[in-house]
Amino acid sequence: MSIFHKLREHFTDVLYIFRKELLQVVKDEGVLMFLVVVPLGYPLLYSWIYNNESMHETPVVVVDQSHTALSRQFINDCDASPDVHIKYHAADLDEARSLVSRQLVRGIYLIPTDFADCVNRGEQAHVSVYCDMAMMLAYKAIYQTAMVEAGRMSAGLNLKKSTTYTKREAAITAQPLAVDDVAMYNPSGGYGSCVLPAVLMLILQQALALGIGMAAGTARERHRNGQLIPDDDPHFNGAYRIVWGKALCYGMMGALAAAYLSMAVPAMFSFPQLGTGWTLFWMLLPYTMACIFFGMTVSCLVRYRENVMLLMVFVSVPLLFMTGVSWPQSSIPGAWQGVSWLFPSTFGVRAFLRVNSMGASVSQVLPEIRILWIQAAVYLGMACLVYRHQFRLRKKYANN
Amino acid sequence: MKYISQIYNIALRELDILRKNRIYGFCMLIFPALLVVFFTTMLDDGVALDLPVGVVDQDNSAMSRGLTRNLDAMQSSRVVYRFANVTEARNAMQEGKVYAYLLIPEGTAAKLMAGRQPKISYYYTMTCMTAGSMAMKDMKTIGSLGSAAVGQSTLSAKGASKEQIRTALQPVTVDAHMIANPEGSYNYSLTTVFVPGILMLFMALLSAYALGTEMKFGTGKEWLAMADGNILVAIIGKYIVHALVFLLVLFLYEYYIFEVLHFPRLGGTWSIVRLTLLHVSAGLGFGIFAFGLMPSLRMSMSISSLWQVLGISMCGSAFPVPAMDSALRSMSWLFPMRHYWMLYQATVLNGFPVIEVWFHFVALIAFTLLPWFVLRKVKNAMLNYVYIP
Repeated sequence: MSIFHKLREHFTDVLYIFRKELLQVVKDEGVLMFLVVVPLGYPLLYSWIYNNESMHETPVVVVDQSHTALSRQFINDCDASPDVHIKYHAADLDEARSLVSRQLVRGIYLIPTDFADCVNRGEQAHVSVYCDMAMMLAYKAIYQTAMVEAGRMSAGLNLKKSTTYTKREAAITAQPLAVDDVAMYNPSGGYGSCVLPAVLMLILQQALALGIGMAAGTARERHRNGQLIPDDDPHFNGAYRIVWGKALCYGMMGALAAAYLSMAVPAMFSFPQLGTGWTLFWMLLPYTMACIFFGMTVSCLVRYRENVMLLMVFVSVPLLFMTGVSWPQSSIPGAWQGVSWLFPSTFGVRAFLRVNSMGASVSQVLPEIRILWIQAAVYLGMACLVYRHQFRLRKKYANN
Repeated sequence: MKYISQIYNIALRELDILRKNRIYGFCMLIFPALLVVFFTTMLDDGVALDLPVGVVDQDNSAMSRGLTRNLDAMQSSRVVYRFANVTEARNAMQEGKVYAYLLIPEGTAAKLMAGRQPKISYYYTMTCMTAGSMAMKDMKTIGSLGSAAVGQSTLSAKGASKEQIRTALQPVTVDAHMIANPEGSYNYSLTTVFVPGILMLFMALLSAYALGTEMKFGTGKEWLAMADGNILVAIIGKYIVHALVFLLVLFLYEYYIFEVLHFPRLGGTWSIVRLTLLHVSAGLGFGIFAFGLMPSLRMSMSISSLWQVLGISMCGSAFPVPAMDSALRSMSWLFPMRHYWMLYQATVLNGFPVIEVWFHFVALIAFTLLPWFVLRKVKNAMLNYVYIP
């Protein structure tokens, strides 16, 4: 047979396997669920959950034991701030505590009896803040609001006492060194804008791995010896064409999912989108490929289709942690950094976060893109090895 | 008596299944142990320490170098880069090398001496919120310390006492009391959500899996026959073993975090035991119910896993439920994890009486009783359905 014929046969087989795999995916509701329903629906649900971004008007109870104009001013200032809402006034700390225990408020402001006296005597006055630490966002809102309002009140009091000639002079005395606070890339500190890009990329990897794993599990369960490659089909003739045929099928679905997750979902919920189309393309191309070959390698470990679900669901939350989105990358212990190198999601999330939320260019995420290509190549090699092994098994069984 | 011996026999059979199928060993013992190790070692520091930050020092004065040294000495920041200009610093931020940078423009020291209020700026990225807010806190402190240093030296030159200086700089202060988590540690607040959350996921998944595999391997009839066709006895016998194993795992986990790692809690031992019992029973109940709704191995497992993974977000520990849309606020009642967490934070973490969150307590009991509605369907599935791969 000439090379031309061989090539032609090879491509026919690849396309045949592609078609067959696609039909199997469409017919199998379990696989369809993870390859289509999950990438379509799950991101929308998560976006919806985090869409409100931050916590406003956290309910707080005040115990005002000072009963002075100054203490009332402090309470009004806190109530007027965006993050805190003074919901109750309590007579003493016990009453306030019972409001916390009934889940009606998340914190207590206690203004002691000598609050105004201290200010007037020229001593330092204190406001006590008691926080329920169950929710970090609520704690930050309650504590930071008290800090800001105390600072503002201090500045106002100093201004009244000052002996300077001009207002400008007073301002300089109060703050000789001005400080500018600039939050970048997610200026409002929104929770959704921070976490969601990572969740989107993780969903891509998990959905592909689950779908591919379940399809492979089904193939094994249908086979009488529990192998991956069907016996009776002449087109499944060679490990490489099987890998390429399957990769084509999942690549098509992965490409659609990647485009939807990286461009449509953030646009629908107006999450930050600073990346250009081509940058996203150069980052998502190796990521999707790495995910597919990763999924194909993992799928070889599965004897039954359910097992892949148990495995992938188990790793999903730790994987999100290892990307460094909720816990800073620099604080992740070395051993876990090492483990994180096994998964495409680690670098896919990091690259996507910086491209999408921080407007990084291709050259700025080059280290991640390089690792993703290496992962894609290594997992491709492993998938080929496994299928070669399966292919030999098939031959052995066929000869017997 | 007859029922008890039947339950005992079914439990022995189930124990045998758990021993033979390696999946159970992995999901009930090895994965939970790995999870506990993962989260407690990952978050061991409690708060993020020594985050990489940069400085753009265009002033090059003794004062700017002092600010840089102070920043480096802060708990959460480590100055790893000195940039020539802001563009370089921003590039480094986009490359993920620093979380924040401090800009000290030319002439800062000179203007400070002349009393012309120079301005320094700090830039931080909020794409990783823990890192961004920690770096911001440190830089804010540096900025106010810079101001305070000037005020302090002026005041002490005028002969003010330490107390007077303190009052003059800040007449009104705030003292924070962080109840039940005085360090603001993320380990205490995240580990105690994710480990129980993923364990509840496994409970639901495995209880659906246990029923599904009876159907898949065609052993369901044999199982029902052991209970004389009484589905309630069959279910109790089967799941009593699962419940005992998960209870053991959870008690070990709780012993480890509260007694070995000394996680703070204000609730007593009874509050933990009560919560753990409800945790396990609700988790198993949800899985059996999911299987009863859709008596197919893969569908019930998919539903359980998708629902329970959402539950980890919907419990409201990271992003609070009151801040979500109203429809989601109502929907949060449908997630057992939400009730678990509300009970945990009220009774175990803060030590409040359970009556304050009785609704969540009742909800967890309701999840335990959910399988009641599908008992007949489960029996029917065992007797009549055929597994199709």
